[in-house]
Amino acid sequence: MKLQTEVLIIGGGATGVGIARDLSLRGIPSVLIEKGDFASGASGRNHGLLHSGARYAISDPEASRECIAENKILRKIAPQCIEETGGLFISLPEDGLDFQKQFLKSCETIRIQANPLSRDEALELEPELNPDLLGAVQVPDGAIDPFKVVLGNVRDAEGHGAKFLTHTEVNSLLIDKNKIKEVRAKDLIHDEEYFINPSYIVNATGAWANQFLKLAGLHISMALSKGSMLITNQRINQRVTNRCRPPSDGDIIVPNHTVSILGTTSIRSEGVENFEVTFLEVSLLINETSKMIPVLRESRFIRAYAGIRPLFQPEEKGDDRAISRGFMLIDHEKRDGIQNLITITGGKLVTYRLMAEKTSDLVCQKMGTSLPCTTHLKPLPTTLRPSGLKDRLKKFSQSFSGKGEEILCDCELVGREEVEESLKQEKTKVLQDILHRTRLAKGTCQGGFCVYRLLGVLHDLKIAEGDSNKILKDFLEERWRGIRPILWGASLKEEELIESIYKGIFNL
Amino acid sequence: MHYDLIITGMGLSGLMAAKTAVEAKQKVLIVGKGMGSLCLFSNTIDVLGLLPETMKVRDGLSQWIKDHPEHPYGKVGLEKTEEALSSFNSFFPPPYAFQSKNETNSLIPTGAGTLRPTYLIPSTMMKGIIFKEKKTLIIGFKGYKDFYAYRLADLFKCRGVTLSLPEGPQAEISATAIARWMEQPTFREFIGTEVKKQIKDEVSVGFPAVLGVNDPMGVRKDLEKRTGASIFEIPVLPPSIPGIRIFNQFKARLLRKGVTFLLGYSVSKVVLRKKRCETIEVFHPPITNSYSADRYILATGRFMGGGLKADWERIYEPLFDLPVHQSPTRQEWFQKAFFNAQPHPIHQSGILTDLSFRPIDEKGEVILENVWVAGTMLAHHNFIDEKSREGIEISTGYTAAKKALGS
Repeated sequence: MKLQTEVLIIGGGATGVGIARDLSLRGIPSVLIEKGDFASGASGRNHGLLHSGARYAISDPEASRECIAENKILRKIAPQCIEETGGLFISLPEDGLDFQKQFLKSCETIRIQANPLSRDEALELEPELNPDLLGAVQVPDGAIDPFKVVLGNVRDAEGHGAKFLTHTEVNSLLIDKNKIKEVRAKDLIHDEEYFINPSYIVNATGAWANQFLKLAGLHISMALSKGSMLITNQRINQRVTNRCRPPSDGDIIVPNHTVSILGTTSIRSEGVENFEVTFLEVSLLINETSKMIPVLRESRFIRAYAGIRPLFQPEEKGDDRAISRGFMLIDHEKRDGIQNLITITGGKLVTYRLMAEKTSDLVCQKMGTSLPCTTHLKPLPTTLRPSGLKDRLKKFSQSFSGKGEEILCDCELVGREEVEESLKQEKTKVLQDILHRTRLAKGTCQGGFCVYRLLGVLHDLKIAEGDSNKILKDFLEERWRGIRPILWGASLKEEELIESIYKGIFNL
Repeated sequence: MHYDLIITGMGLSGLMAAKTAVEAKQKVLIVGKGMGSLCLFSNTIDVLGLLPETMKVRDGLSQWIKDHPEHPYGKVGLEKTEEALSSFNSFFPPPYAFQSKNETNSLIPTGAGTLRPTYLIPSTMMKGIIFKEKKTLIIGFKGYKDFYAYRLADLFKCRGVTLSLPEGPQAEISATAIARWMEQPTFREFIGTEVKKQIKDEVSVGFPAVLGVNDPMGVRKDLEKRTGASIFEIPVLPPSIPGIRIFNQFKARLLRKGVTFLLGYSVSKVVLRKKRCETIEVFHPPITNSYSADRYILATGRFMGGGLKADWERIYEPLFDLPVHQSPTRQEWFQKAFFNAQPHPIHQSGILTDLSFRPIDEKGEVILENVWVAGTMLAHHNFIDEKSREGIEISTGYTAAKKALGS
């Protein structure tokens, strides 16, 4: 199929869809290609932190300034995606209070609201904190639902004429002199080939930036850093809890919906798709975070996962945490003489909108127009993605008064109607797309029951046909990657149950 | 209160031990917090499902015992395994009996649309063995979310129908609710009529395994009469109604034989003296009672049952603190892939015993002289991959009791 468009965006993470929205609001048509589902890279594999910027106030003031500015904008334009938890930076005896002094000063310079709290005040707010703490600083951190942000951008952009092709991968580029004339891409699910002739191309592939650039014979200097995280079965803390010391492994616990997320590690990664969480990382994360919240040593975990951060670097080795978390916008016309190619990478989830704005500005500049950005003013539309626990409980209680529906996922209370509705409204191509758009498989059993049921529903609706047990097995294998590192205690009991069902009763 | 034998654990192995002891005129107490894995998995009796389908299970088992002396079957031996199975069968006379077809494993259809090999099959599932050769209709129920007739029909290349049931109290219906309704003639009349309407040229009808708790063969016979088709049950997600039938049958018969049941409680503490167990304590809120016996059998299951526990460094046995055979670190508990040709090494872990099922330490010394261990908590088997769960439970429960009684 031949496609014409003004701008072709590669990459369906927060930055890519942010650019699609930004351009669409300026009236510039675009097509976005994503080789997996939306947010399947770093945008969907992080701890869902709405950064206040305080973490980088000392080490990276520029990134820190961007964070706090965007933090305030996102609270205004996307309140439905944010939980205003607030955050604490706590000092433990081994940390001392020297860092805290410097921290408070830097926050003041950058104008991040930072209130010092005594030990008792901090414990009153967060009773599970280590009682030995020396003190804490309160900052405007929050929790953000990255997938909701991404889908909100997609919805708005679609409403303004942008087109999205997920599960579609770029194969090759046709370069004529100093321009990319044609981009060839393939739908990985439906075998459709696309020949796209864009005026401009934006490479927003994050950690995959060099894989795309390779097709044009280009390369940029970039470090890949793997960060691993653990999810608890219950929400342990109410405020984002940070360690008040220089950035390091296991220094943050983010409350998110019904869980808390422990983060992170930082390990230089060679491969872009290396998402394995090692047993060593699991021990390190629990050992470190439990110094802030001791009960984590006995907590049940439901999953371990990792994301790859794309970091810009001058070509020298060293601690990846010293590399700026700021973003990099490259005009390949200036750098490499390719007139119609731009790369945007690096940055933080919280600065995605700013990155999209700057990229769209550059596109406009190259087009010779000066249409203004409005994404910082216009609210992000809400999506189908289910609302908070309160609403789900309300719906659940109705199902027991006789008028309701079957609950497919007992852990997260996802009903059959909600799933059917989502199937009608959203474009989903594979099982994981459906799981992304609902809370199926996000709870304690990690899809041990509900995915079997979902497949049943898909057959009822004639969406799935034939032997869907391969899909079930693939899902269980994917699930395994997330749970294998955390199997002890109650999770191990759960594993015996699930294995007894699928290998035992069902002989899969 | 003093007993000849106290059994901890009310799963299939504990129940078999109780049966064996009470039939030897012993005064028996059985303590358990629940039905063990019976209410979850035991639809049929697996003995060694991994054997080739054409092989007589007796022959396969005999070779297995030679090749695996440390395996629970290796310790039980062929003769006692067969004795144990026939002892089990004596509790299930027809019409609801457990049988094999030609003494080999047979493939039965499952709720995931797969076929699984198993050995002793309850009468309600027997006709499922040959369902593929016949025209079959699969029946599901709207609101029963653990069974999907259309999916099964797609996988088995037959026809499926989801029936709407007469008004229930709520949108969701459980397996146990349907099983209870099945025992009411008016409900069966409704189901019979609806199914008959749906049958075109099908000669057999597959239901999820929910055809009544107390009289499944009566339910089946009635439905066959009403529909004119031959009917079979298909094993589904837990809970397992057929497993509950096994538990109920054991409980009723053992009570009649004089076994004392303490159901719903777990043993909170054991009192040991030298190499003997003296008493056990059971916490009945708000008081604690002590019970003593000459001999004790531990049959508390694996991780799900609570017989084995694991923290992030090691696996342990919480009641007697018996040594647990295990890999040196947690990293080696599981394979990288979930579906793996080799079983996950953690399944080999468990309690080490001598040939009489008394717990031993790494040097092979008996730790407790009047305690015997039975069931899946034993080391050196892969009950899931081997498909040997019920066989191990039945044979070790039987043998541990025999050994405890000195025969």
